[in-house]
Amino acid sequence: MGSAHAFPFLTTLVLVPAGTALVLLLLPRQLTRLVRAVALAGSIGTLGIAVATLDQFRSGFAGYQMTSVHPFVAALGISWSLGIDGISLFLVLMTAVLFPLALLGAGEQTNTKAFVVWVSLLEAGCMGSFLSLDVLLFFLFFEATLVPVYFLIGGWGHERRGYAATKFFVYTFVASAVMLVGIVALVFLHQSQTGTLTFSVQALARTHLTGAESVALFLAFTAAFAVKAPVFPFHTWSPDAYAEAPAGGSILLAGIMAKLGTYGIIRFDLGLFPHGVVVLAPLLLTLGVAGIIYGGVVAAVQRDLKRLVAYSSLAHMGFIVLGAFALTGEALSGAVLQMVNHGLYTAALFLLVAMIYRRRGTFEIRRLGGLQRKAPVMAAAFMLVMLASIGVPGLNGFVGEFLILAGTFIGHRWWAVAAMVGVVLAAVYLLWAYQQVFHGRREGDERPEQPERPFKELTVREGLVLAPLLALIVFLGVYPKPVLNRITPTVDALIAHVAAGSHTDTAPLGRPVLSSAVVRTPGSAIGLATDVQGGARVAVTPAVLDTHASAPTPVSPAPAGKGIR
Amino acid sequence: MSVHASWYLVLAAVLFSIGAVGLLVRRNVLVMFMCIELMLNAANLTFVTFSRALNDIGGQVAVFFVLVVAAAEVVVGLGIIVAIYRRRVGATADDAHILKG
Amino acid sequence: MSPLAALLSPAHLLAANGLVLPHVNYTAIMPELILLGGMLLLLGISAVSPRHLPTQVYATATAGIGIASLIASLVLWHDVQKGGPFSAVARAVDIDGFATLVLVLCSCVVILGAFFAAGFLEREQVQGVEYYALALISASGAMLMGSANDLILVFLGLEILSIPLYVMAGLDQRRAASGEAAMKYFLLGAFSSAVFVYGIALTYGATGSTNLASIGSFLAQNVVVSNGVLLGGLALLLVGFGFKVAAVPFHMWTPDVYAGSPTPAVGFMAAVAKIGAFGALLRVLFSTFPTLRTSWQPILWALAILTLLLGALVAVVQRDVKRMLAYSSINHAGFILLGVQAGTSRGAEASLYYLFVYSVLVLGTFGVVAVVGGRGDEGHGIERYRGLAHRRPLLAGSMAVLLLAQAGAPFTTGFFSKLYVIEASIAAHSYALATVAMLSAAIATFFYLRLVFAMFGERAGRQASVAVPVAPAGAGAPGGAAGQFPPVGTLPAGPAVASAAGVLTLERAAGLVDPGRAEAAAVADDDAGPVVADADLQVSPWVWVGLALCVGTTVVLGIWPSPLVDFARHATLLF
Repeated sequence: MGSAHAFPFLTTLVLVPAGTALVLLLLPRQLTRLVRAVALAGSIGTLGIAVATLDQFRSGFAGYQMTSVHPFVAALGISWSLGIDGISLFLVLMTAVLFPLALLGAGEQTNTKAFVVWVSLLEAGCMGSFLSLDVLLFFLFFEATLVPVYFLIGGWGHERRGYAATKFFVYTFVASAVMLVGIVALVFLHQSQTGTLTFSVQALARTHLTGAESVALFLAFTAAFAVKAPVFPFHTWSPDAYAEAPAGGSILLAGIMAKLGTYGIIRFDLGLFPHGVVVLAPLLLTLGVAGIIYGGVVAAVQRDLKRLVAYSSLAHMGFIVLGAFALTGEALSGAVLQMVNHGLYTAALFLLVAMIYRRRGTFEIRRLGGLQRKAPVMAAAFMLVMLASIGVPGLNGFVGEFLILAGTFIGHRWWAVAAMVGVVLAAVYLLWAYQQVFHGRREGDERPEQPERPFKELTVREGLVLAPLLALIVFLGVYPKPVLNRITPTVDALIAHVAAGSHTDTAPLGRPVLSSAVVRTPGSAIGLATDVQGGARVAVTPAVLDTHASAPTPVSPAPAGKGIR
Repeated sequence: MSVHASWYLVLAAVLFSIGAVGLLVRRNVLVMFMCIELMLNAANLTFVTFSRALNDIGGQVAVFFVLVVAAAEVVVGLGIIVAIYRRRVGATADDAHILKG
Repeated sequence: MSPLAALLSPAHLLAANGLVLPHVNYTAIMPELILLGGMLLLLGISAVSPRHLPTQVYATATAGIGIASLIASLVLWHDVQKGGPFSAVARAVDIDGFATLVLVLCSCVVILGAFFAAGFLEREQVQGVEYYALALISASGAMLMGSANDLILVFLGLEILSIPLYVMAGLDQRRAASGEAAMKYFLLGAFSSAVFVYGIALTYGATGSTNLASIGSFLAQNVVVSNGVLLGGLALLLVGFGFKVAAVPFHMWTPDVYAGSPTPAVGFMAAVAKIGAFGALLRVLFSTFPTLRTSWQPILWALAILTLLLGALVAVVQRDVKRMLAYSSINHAGFILLGVQAGTSRGAEASLYYLFVYSVLVLGTFGVVAVVGGRGDEGHGIERYRGLAHRRPLLAGSMAVLLLAQAGAPFTTGFFSKLYVIEASIAAHSYALATVAMLSAAIATFFYLRLVFAMFGERAGRQASVAVPVAPAGAGAPGGAAGQFPPVGTLPAGPAVASAAGVLTLERAAGLVDPGRAEAAAVADDDAGPVVADADLQVSPWVWVGLALCVGTTVVLGIWPSPLVDFARHATLLF
């Protein structure tokens, strides 16, 4: 797809927010309104480009599309190489949707200019991470997101923001440091095999790795992603960071930044180290389940609403990890979809929590209570988002979680069973929190010096911020087909690639693999049952231009109940 | 009667060691300073010995350079020492204690 | 040359006695000559001028001299790229891509150093030409080290580099610490030179020459059976270099000297000494002792590990910013050693690139430290940086960029410099070393961030959460508060704080107080932390120019690093 002459959608997706930040830097900071308007215009412009990208995206095509490749640091083999496929498409869209909302809903009250500059830079960094097809370019953007987030937490956070910001930065930086060594080692191995120095994902996926190399590099890469996601037990920075971050910061951190970790796992771990993935999948599955249960249990004992949401977000990230390492088409599609879903409802939850905080000045659940009477609309919105988060059918959380659990069940039954516990836990603590905040009695109400204070209903503006999220939550819950249609070809090709690479150390890509189970019906959650029972079908992958896609999708029916093992 | 070159080298090594150890254990700045001179001259002796043994004039030329540099070091070093101890009684390195190390 | 001059010239006299002096190709040493000639000119002007000239005159002149030598270096670069490398002055000087890059680097350091020094000396009202003269000599020594092709010349360069630095360390006579720093630097520096000379003597004895190329070809052609003397010589040379680049365990002088010396001198010292010493070290190891690679690589491996870890770990516990930066410079030395240890031309490139990046960063960082230090150059505790972002946003912003670049943040030159050395190291199969290096970089972020947070995070201390809900009511109203939800509740707040916030809000609304200042005042009220008076934070235009150059280079070359990478690559292609 020689897009050399076409409009460079993907490059503009990165450059528009970056350019917005540059423009904002030049504006005088007294003009708060103008600064905010420009930032908003920039992020809405980015959203427009993202929607145009969706329009341009060829559905049913597994490979990278709309690629643009330019030399960046030729001497070091780094190229400006962007592309989009089914895995990144909706993450890009979600990013584009969440940023304007975060800007609108942030409500920071000091130093607006600096705030919006950092947010714009963060958007450029996130876009770049999701779109990069060059491992080093990805790493650059991946790391570049740290700096804005550090300043957002450190500059506009709550009480212990210095601690949280530094902990966040150092934790992620340590892990990324290991990953950088891994990247360079992989590139060096590739160079010693082929003689070319390149960081291109497509080229590196063809590197022949021995089993030990694959496992070691997998660990090096996963270190960074596991911290970023965060995967239990590398999560300790995240509740602090989520809780201390300002409203806009938590939305972006939990909604988008966490996805960088799971996206990295899917794109790079699965794409580059199939052998390592297959060897270590049980470990990662276990960590995913541990995260689900740990997050749920800890969330259940929280007395701070924001921390509760933070831990619940951690638990839900466990599902995505589970889906990524179950190594079946359903689970992986579910994981990709769930990344988007999680982004939407977590962002909405953090937005609502921030709105409550703005009214009451506290996150303590026992000091809230009975808000439903005063703000029924807000309560309804909270209820909807919370139900999506629990995974009630008809809302978006259900589709992703169901696909993940069903896909996991095929090959890793007991992990799936254990993860079910997490679903129950989520229902318990979220419903409890809802009940306490919106229906319960507020402690301290009887104190005479604290008379019943007014609690304002959602303003129009707040409603406008929430509405798109609620609409998307419902839409994706009711009609996920168009999304899944675009996700599945890529996912199937990736699963096939993993299957091909896992069997022999030096399996060239594209070798047909007969024993793997890649079974799915594109876009239908309901169709799963028949698939699982052995009605395997051929996922037709159209002509391809990259490595993932160049692996012919396995066509054989597989014994039911068996994943790639 | 000729003395074998290795004896000169051993002598130089001994001188160098005396200088190095002296620099590390003595606290009087002037003595430390003299130790550095001792080390430099041990190097010079080595140069001359090798020059003779290799029958090459280069080593002896090197000695001139080292001497000139040593002289320059003396000028600057003494200047620094004098500048510091102008207002003090003795010249002991331990008096310099404002900085931690 | 006129007949008379020819008759009187020493060459003529000596030639008559049968000694043949080498032909001196002056273009090969032109940058050094420009620096030294300029220095003499400056000294002459200051000697004959009836009254003290302002320091800006000397700074301008020094920057001019630096630019002239930069041009001369670039001309040499051009010659080398076109005509290939050449030796000059009886093969004592080697002009190749590597040497010319070192020349360019030193010239840049001179120019930047002049800007930062001007701002500092102006504030401290120190007159006189000494600082600039010493800087010029010192830089010429570093240049000599980079282009030297003879161990004796390396030694001379080392001394020409070091002796002025000893004096610069002690230049601030009002502070006793400065004198102490000079003495410590001098004693340990002289010790390391003596070790270095002894190393040269042993190498000379083992190989019969002090010329780097001759030693190299000697070692390539002969198998030295009993190489104790040679290895001893090499080891002593490494010790000497180790002292100069502040590699652990030869780093003891660094924190004290950095803490005691006048601040802009520290930046200059750190940059120029590392350029010179690493330049010579790379050349000595790569072009002279490649055959002994198996001997020196393990030594450098151990040095690098120690240097990386100690630098990063000890820096974490420092409270004094200058000491902290001293340990951070030790950490950086470890990174450059990574490239040296690789022992490949890629390693040399990486080291050169890192040197360039590091020099710019360290000059800029100490430039800011000098400003924040305040009059008297004493205030280097981390508390001086509290809330700097609100009093001097541009200054704090520059410092943040420089610190984050030192930490290796992406889209700064710092990231690519680290990537480059890591790549070189991994290509040489030093996986463990590369991993340790990156981990040390991660530890190092901790203290860079502490400084950054002190500048940016201390917005209004704990009051922030209290003052914020009140502020928009007053301050937001005139502006319309476009994007803000009206605050409904107020927080339980002590009446005193609330009223203080209210007063501040009113003042702010009335345009009396600039918001940053008001918040800084709020911090001062509660924390009783020392807040530097604004008058004490005057930033001279000279410093602004220097900072703009440093930050601009860091960011622009961080986003588009190709030119500099290509520069480093071409420098070692002809190595």
